[in-house]
Amino acid sequence: MSDIKPVRRRASESVEHRTNDERTQSQYQPYKDAAWGFINHWYPALFSEELPEGAVEGIQICGVPIVLRRVDGKIYALKDQCVHRGVRMSAKPMCFNKKTISCWYHGFTFNLDDGKLSTIVANPNDRLIGNTGVTTYPVEEVAGMVFVFVRQDDFPDEDIPPLSHDLPFRFPENSEKFPHPLWPSAPSILDNDAIALGIHRTGQSNWRIACENGFDNAHILVHKDNTIVHALDWVLPLGILPVHEEPIAIVEDEDGPKGLMQWLFTDRWQPVLENEQLGLKIDNLKGRFYRTSVVLPGCLMVENWPEEHVVQYEWYVPITDDMYEYWEVMVRICKSDEDRSKFKYRFDRVYTPLCLHGFNDCDLYAREAMEEFYTDGTGWDDEQLVATDVSPISWRKVASRWNRGIAKPGRGVTNSTKTSSIRMRRLAEGKAPGYFVEKINDVNKF
Amino acid sequence: MSTSSKVTISFSDGVERQFFALPGQNVLEAALKEDVPVLHQCRSGSCSSCLAKLVEGKADTLAGASSTLIPSEKAQGLRLLCVTEALSDCTFQLGYDSAVGTNQATEAKAFVNAIDRLADDVVRLELELAEGDWFEFRPGQFIQIKVPGTDAVRSYSMASTPADLPRIELLIRLLPGGVMSTWLLEGAKIDDVLEISGPYGQFFLKEGEKAPHIMIAGGTGLAPMMSMIDALRMRSGRKPKMLLSFGCQTQGSLFHLDAIELRQQWLPQLDVQLSVDRGPAPSGVRVGNPVEVIGASEPLDPDSVAYLCGPPGMIDAARRHLEQLGLASENIFAEQFVASQ
Repeated sequence: MSDIKPVRRRASESVEHRTNDERTQSQYQPYKDAAWGFINHWYPALFSEELPEGAVEGIQICGVPIVLRRVDGKIYALKDQCVHRGVRMSAKPMCFNKKTISCWYHGFTFNLDDGKLSTIVANPNDRLIGNTGVTTYPVEEVAGMVFVFVRQDDFPDEDIPPLSHDLPFRFPENSEKFPHPLWPSAPSILDNDAIALGIHRTGQSNWRIACENGFDNAHILVHKDNTIVHALDWVLPLGILPVHEEPIAIVEDEDGPKGLMQWLFTDRWQPVLENEQLGLKIDNLKGRFYRTSVVLPGCLMVENWPEEHVVQYEWYVPITDDMYEYWEVMVRICKSDEDRSKFKYRFDRVYTPLCLHGFNDCDLYAREAMEEFYTDGTGWDDEQLVATDVSPISWRKVASRWNRGIAKPGRGVTNSTKTSSIRMRRLAEGKAPGYFVEKINDVNKF
Repeated sequence: MSTSSKVTISFSDGVERQFFALPGQNVLEAALKEDVPVLHQCRSGSCSSCLAKLVEGKADTLAGASSTLIPSEKAQGLRLLCVTEALSDCTFQLGYDSAVGTNQATEAKAFVNAIDRLADDVVRLELELAEGDWFEFRPGQFIQIKVPGTDAVRSYSMASTPADLPRIELLIRLLPGGVMSTWLLEGAKIDDVLEISGPYGQFFLKEGEKAPHIMIAGGTGLAPMMSMIDALRMRSGRKPKMLLSFGCQTQGSLFHLDAIELRQQWLPQLDVQLSVDRGPAPSGVRVGNPVEVIGASEPLDPDSVAYLCGPPGMIDAARRHLEQLGLASENIFAEQFVASQ
C-alpha cells in the first residue's frame, strides 16, 4: 500500500475585496517586472542647450550608459561603455576628429555613426578593428530637447518607431475624440514654432512610483497649501472621484502613442471640495480646469496648465531601479522673437519658482516618501488601493500591454551595485547618485 | 554491390557537411560518426527529432523499420534520418542551423515545486533544477523525465521559457493507469527529486521571424505554444502577429484559460481561438476542431509560419488545411505527441 495523496492546488493567499486583487495584479505583472524601466522607447536625454557644439555628455537611462556628442550640429549617441574594459568614454572625453570618439584609457576608437571599432590609437592593425563595436541610439532633436531611442543591443533599425509614438496625444487632431470645451487646444512639442522650456533633476525613487503620481487624482491634496494655488485663487479640489463606468479612455491606436486619457472636468469625475468631518473646505474662487493623460514609456501631459495656451509635460526617466530623472517641461507656440522672450521671462519669473519648484517639489518628495515601501517589493504586494486608483491601475495594464521591452537589471553600470566602495566614496564627498556621468578632473594642475 | 553513398547535410545557416553512408546503415548513425550535429533522440523512428527533407537523390526507410511520418509528409521528401537508408548520393536539408545540434542534451536533477490539477485530465508540474545542474533550451523543445519508482521515461515540452530557468513548467495529460499519471496522482510530493534529461527536439521557435505566427494546439500540445508566446513577448524588436488556436475534447478538459487570457492582456498582437470537439461549450468557445477556424474569418498571410502540436490526426489535418491556404510546407513545423501509458 502506498500513501495515497490527492493532488491539490497550492493554497494561495486570499486577497478579496481589494481593488488590486491577485487577478488584477497578474494583469500588470510585466509592469511589476519593469523596475529598470521599459526599453526600446524614446526618452528625453538632454536639453539642446546642455550639449553645445563639440560637447560630450554621459548619462544613464534604463541602466544603459549613453554618451552623446554634437558634431556640426548633429547629435550622435553611443553606448558609453568601451568594449575593451568597460570604461565610460564620457568620463574624460577624447575625440581626435569629427567622425569618432575614443576611449581615453587604451584608445579604442568608435565611429559616431555606426558604433564600429574603427581603430585603436596605439594598435592600428589589430584584427579586432571592424569586427566589434558599441550599440548606437537614434537621436531626434525638437523644440530645444534631445530625445534618444534607448534600445536593446539587438533591436533592429527597421523596427524603430517614430518619436511621435512615444509623445503625448496632439490637438486639435484629437479634439473631436477628446473634446475640451473649457480650454483651447493644447500645443504639442512637435508643432511648428513650439518652444519647450523646463528643468530636469534626479529623484531618488523608482520611476513607476514617480510616474503614477502625476495622473493620480487623489494626489492633489499634497498641493493644497501651494503658493500659486492661493496667489491666483485657484479652485484646486481636495481630490477628484470617479463617478462613471468609464472615467478613463484607453488609447491603443495602431499608428500613434499608447496610453490613457482621463475625462476630467466632465460628469465622469466628481471634484470633492469639502470634508465636513474634518472641517475642510475649498473656498477659492477661480476655476482651474486641466486634464491629465499619460502615454508610454511614461510621459505625462497636463493640458491647460499652468495657464491657457501652455501645456506641461513630465517624464520620469528610469536611471536605475531606485532613481529617475524628473523632467518638467512647459511647451508654448512662439511665432516671433517677442513671443519667445515673453515666454522665457514668464518661465523664469513665474513658472520655475512657483510651478516647477513650488508646486512640483511636493510631488517629488511625495514620491520619495513612498520609495521605501516599494524598494524591497513590499508595496507592490501589500498596497491597499482604492477607487481613485483606477488611474494608476489602468496605466499599469496599458503599460504591461504596449511596452516594447522590459529593461534587464543594469549590469556593470553606474549605480547597479549599491554597496561598492567607490559609490560610498562619492557619497562621502557629498555627491548623490544621479543621472550624469562623474567626470574625471584634470590632475595636471598638481 | 555494396558501395557507399555520399550524403550531404545542409543546415539552415548555409553550412554543409558531407560523409559516406553504407547500405543498410541509417543516415543518422553515419552523420554522428562524423560529428555532424544532427538533432536526435529516440533513434527508433518515432520522436521526429531527426526530421530532415530529402532534396536530391534517393533515400527510403530501412527494411524492417517503421517511421511515424504520414504518407503526405513522406511525399514532400521528409525523412526520419534514424530509420533512413541512402539509396544513392543524396542531400538532406535541415530546418535548423549548424549551432543548434551542439546544444547537446544533458542529465539533471530537479525538485518538484508544485503539482496543480488544471482540468479533469491535465496536471501542471513545476520543477526547479537542482543546485549545480543547468541546461539551455529553445522554446518548443522537450525534456525527458524518469518516472520515479519505475524504469519508464516520458517526454514533455516546456511550457516555460529559457528565461524562467531554473524553474521549468510542464503540462501533463493524465492517462488512466499511465505510469506518470499514477505517480502524479498517488506518489508525487512537493520537494521530490526527479531525474530529467534534455533538451530534445527540433520543434522550436525560429529566431527573428516577423511574419504572422499560427499556433495550433490540441490538449497539452499547448505547452510548447505557451513557451513560444512568452518568448515572443520578451523578444527584442517588433512583435509578429500571433494566432493561437487551442482545442480540447470537452468543456471539462479545457484548461489554462486564465493563463491564455493573461497573454492576451499582455500581448495585443495575440489573437486566440478556443474550441472543444464536443459540446456543450462555455461562452467564447466554439464546438469544432482547432484547425478549421484558421483562415475562416480572414485570409491567411501566405508568408505565415505555423507551429502545430497535438495528436497525429490533428497535425495531419492542420498541415493539409494550411497548405491549401497557401502556406509553404517548409514553414509548417509540427510536434506530434503520442500518449504513452
